[in-house]
Amino acid sequence: MPEKRVAITGIGTVTPVGMGVEAFWNALVGAAACTRNVSRFDAGEFDSQVAGELDDFSARKFVPRDYRKAVKVMARDIEIAVAAADLAFRDSGIITKGIDPENTTIQASRLGCNIGAGLICSDLDELGSAVNTAVVDGKFDFKLWGSHGMDNLTPLWLLKYLPNMLACHVTIIHGAEGPSNTITCDAASSHLAVGEATRLIARGGAEAVIAGGAESKLNPMGLLRQGLLKRLCNSRNDTPAEACRPFDAEHDGTVIGEGGGLLILENLQCAEKRGAKIYAELVGFAGACDPEGFDVTRPTCGSLDLAVEGAIRDAGITPDDIDLIICHGTGVPAEDACEAQGWRDALGDRAAEIPAFAITGAMGSMFAGAGAVELAAGALAMYHQTVPPTVNFSAPAGDCELGLSDQAREKQLTYAVSCAFSVGGQSGACVLKRYQS
Amino acid sequence: MNRRRVVITGMGTVNPLGHNVQDTWSALLAGRSGVSKTELFDASTFPSTFSAQVKGYDLSQDMPDTTKHRHAGRHCKFALGAALQAWKQSVLAECDALDPRSLGIYLGSGEGSLDFDNFTSLMIDAWEDGKINTRKWAALAKDRMDLHRETEQESNMVLAHLASEFGVRGPAFNVLTACAASTQAIGEAALQIRRGDADVMISGGAHSMIHPFGVTGFNRLTALSTRNDEIAGASRPFDLTRDGFVLGEGASILIIEEYEFAKARGAKILAEIVGYGSSADAFRITDQDPGGQGASGSMTVALQDAALSPADIDYISAHGTGTKQNDQVETRALKAVFGALAGKVPVSSIKSMIGHLIAAAGATELITCVLAIRDQILPPTTNYHHPDPDCDLDYIPNEPRKTDVKVCMSNSFGFGGQNDTLIVTACE
Repeated sequence: MPEKRVAITGIGTVTPVGMGVEAFWNALVGAAACTRNVSRFDAGEFDSQVAGELDDFSARKFVPRDYRKAVKVMARDIEIAVAAADLAFRDSGIITKGIDPENTTIQASRLGCNIGAGLICSDLDELGSAVNTAVVDGKFDFKLWGSHGMDNLTPLWLLKYLPNMLACHVTIIHGAEGPSNTITCDAASSHLAVGEATRLIARGGAEAVIAGGAESKLNPMGLLRQGLLKRLCNSRNDTPAEACRPFDAEHDGTVIGEGGGLLILENLQCAEKRGAKIYAELVGFAGACDPEGFDVTRPTCGSLDLAVEGAIRDAGITPDDIDLIICHGTGVPAEDACEAQGWRDALGDRAAEIPAFAITGAMGSMFAGAGAVELAAGALAMYHQTVPPTVNFSAPAGDCELGLSDQAREKQLTYAVSCAFSVGGQSGACVLKRYQS
Repeated sequence: MNRRRVVITGMGTVNPLGHNVQDTWSALLAGRSGVSKTELFDASTFPSTFSAQVKGYDLSQDMPDTTKHRHAGRHCKFALGAALQAWKQSVLAECDALDPRSLGIYLGSGEGSLDFDNFTSLMIDAWEDGKINTRKWAALAKDRMDLHRETEQESNMVLAHLASEFGVRGPAFNVLTACAASTQAIGEAALQIRRGDADVMISGGAHSMIHPFGVTGFNRLTALSTRNDEIAGASRPFDLTRDGFVLGEGASILIIEEYEFAKARGAKILAEIVGYGSSADAFRITDQDPGGQGASGSMTVALQDAALSPADIDYISAHGTGTKQNDQVETRALKAVFGALAGKVPVSSIKSMIGHLIAAAGATELITCVLAIRDQILPPTTNYHHPDPDCDLDYIPNEPRKTDVKVCMSNSFGFGGQNDTLIVTACE
């Protein structure tokens, strides 16, 4: 049985540059630079004090009235996913239980979900207020914790931080009873989730799937851990909007961004039948792995070349057909170099000529959420036949020659390839195709 | 064109009952309990003072030189050991035809545990006026926290360690759908082989939540048994007096591969994975759909995928956690799927002995299904003494059962409502 074609018919983005597809695209082509000094907490003692933050964000206005109480048990990562889901479904025109329970347009068991998530850190103030009731002589006391201390945590405390709760809240709100998965491969998560969702539709296991990822590492633990990995830009606390510089000669580390994106992937035939807006088709996917990725002191791009080659082969095209590269572009010098080499290995000498862009300069790295936002940007680029500019890129680092520009460019785009990779060595690549009816 | 078939050629496990497959199987058939007083930390005043811990495991049992993995966390070491056992059984090391790009890995591994002492001491030392002084916290944390201790907590790191051991360059995924994770990992890995995205996949799961905040989290949810005076009998799935699950830890890894590939290299085939189903309750984060609609959904999809009917199933390895709700809902779901056959098909929960390995549970249970097929014997549900009118199926009480076993179904249901089912058969 031939595989079914898969279309992207809805985009929900929750990012530092804007909420929802229109604001997001306008900010992208307008080269809005939105990283700034951390305002969520006092980051004055951290080496890197820059982040891409969401302003006054809460999931409350993105959930049905009777679900608002549940927002209290959502970590910020979950809130981002829940908001992105609402935006994505509304954008797609599919009416779910969460949009209008009386008039749903999709059968619950035919709607799947696959959302990438990260390691969610518990709120230090929340946990600290309980921990500090179980202290004897300045030290944590297990006996006191067991008998009294832990009772200060809300009974549902654990459920706030389980990574599968992104998918669980989204499936509950929108009544998605089909296959449901949670991929936890750091920044490769979104691509792997979207790729797996595409396969699910292609083999007929679902009519539509909401897929992507979300994460916020914008908390002290996140900043600390990325600092220990020496991945953050420490040199631009005074010019925070210029801190994350993918592939630029002056790149000096990445910036934590919070956010994510969810895409509505849909059986193309169903989408055409209901007259849906189609951003692009998803025509190829592959995952790959760098077997030395476990050594986190060594830079990796997760064998990006193998993932990209695999996705291009899966799409039934050749590297010469690629018109657009959507880079991951963390801005970490060694990772940028590794990634650029990966693109050259996969696409040959043409790699430096193919128009390319990276979104990280504008909003930072969104980890498990990054890939879905990159794919959203790619789908919009195909739809608008426009390559967005790369913020904070002016001249390439010596080993990072790619077709980037700080200006938006109108181009004929038929095939685009996007790849993201994790700390740890996994990667996922997707090929998008311009949709023409 | 017929679809590519997926077979199991290697299995390994490190769990509370044993450090390998055979010891685990002997313990399960003898009805032994892996539950004991929690020794990993002082849980003496916790609502639950006991757990199913892996005892005395040292990675050097399975790996002569462990230097490369010196930073690996506890559950990662279990996974490495289990993977080496599985790899050895598969004899893939001798296979020249295996392209590293066709070797994938799909795990359901949990997060690593916190650097507990440093994490809590920071929270205490930086506490001012009812909250964390983040300046003070950062200044102290930069000194105290360790790169590897922090990074190894990311749930993709077990994947990374295993990939390095076997030179994986193909697709690499980690799923974390709570208690359903490793069942889902194996199901999705099988789909990748079927489609041709890989010829061989390393799959399974690893998890340890037996740490202070893990136990705290489950105790606050009142999900754990608190039968502190009767710990070996605390895990009692489907029994009327059940009061929660017993938290366990461990890892189980399987080598699965395409049938023709396995045959061509003369591999010993242990079983075939013929069906996989995934569904979501879409009900509540705290409760399962009481009608069992979500749970029956994954079983129905798996049966369709396998082109089998309920009458073909010889044994069901239950999720059977021993919580009031799970066992009742699972029973209802089984009745919905099996109709008049429910009550005739034997069902058991090895969690009665081994505890709940969370992300690693499903893979461990699938291994016992393969062994049941091999030895034509079903593991029991122990600690079963008081029938529950709401749970009235044949749970194989207390004693293993010799019988004809060809087709087994294994269920896993995650907190939050993600459900997964696998079906394995003897390979013909």
